[in-house]
Amino acid sequence: MSRLLAIAAALALAGTVQAAGNAAAGKSKAAQVCAACHGPEGNKPTAPENPVLAGQHRDYLVKALKDYKSGKRNNAVMKGFAAALSNRDIEDLAAWFAGQKSDLHFQR
Amino acid sequence: MHPRTSLAVALLAVCGAAQAQQPAASHLANNLSMCAGCHGIPGYKTAYPEVYHVPKLGGQSPAYLVNALKAYRSGERLHPSMRGIAASLSDKDMEELAAYYGGNAK
Repeated sequence: MSRLLAIAAALALAGTVQAAGNAAAGKSKAAQVCAACHGPEGNKPTAPENPVLAGQHRDYLVKALKDYKSGKRNNAVMKGFAAALSNRDIEDLAAWFAGQKSDLHFQR
Repeated sequence: MHPRTSLAVALLAVCGAAQAQQPAASHLANNLSMCAGCHGIPGYKTAYPEVYHVPKLGGQSPAYLVNALKAYRSGERLHPSMRGIAASLSDKDMEELAAYYGGNAK
C-alpha cells in the first residue's frame, strides 16, 4: 500500500510539473513560432493588433492557445500556428511568456 | 422667403449646429464597473467547467482589446459573460475602454 501511495504521489507530482510547463523549452519554441509577431519575450508586438503576452496569466495563455488549436477561438493566423503545437508545447510557451516582463499588469 | 421664415430657418440651423458640436456623453465610468466585476479582482478566476485566471488588461494593446470586444459582440469569440457585456457596448465605448486599459502605465 505504501508503495502504491508513493507511486501515486510521484505521478501526481509529475503531472503538476508537466502542467506547469518548461519555460526554457518554451523560450526556444517561442523564438521559432511566436517571436515574429509578439517579440521573443512576448512584450514587443510588431503590430498594434497583436497582444502583449509577457506577464499574462499562464493558465489564460494555455486556454487561448488550446482554443485556437481546437477552432473554438477563430483567428486565421493563430489557428495555423496553434494547430502545429502539441499540448506540451502549449504548456511550455505559456510558462515562458507568463514569466517575462512587460507593461501588462492587473488594472482595476 | 418671408424674412421671418428665413430667420426661423437660420435659428434652427444654429441650434442644430450647436447640438451637433456637443460631444456624445461618455459611458466609460459605467462601462468600467462591468469590467471590474471580474477583471478588477486580483487573482479572479472563471467558473467551472473551465477554470482559469481572467486576463490582465492593464498595458494591453488597445487595438487588440477593441478587436477582442468586437469579436465577443459578433459572437465570433465565445464567452457567455463577455458576449453579454460586449453586446451592450458601442464602438465608441470599446475604444474608450481600450484606451483606458491600454493607456495605463504600470
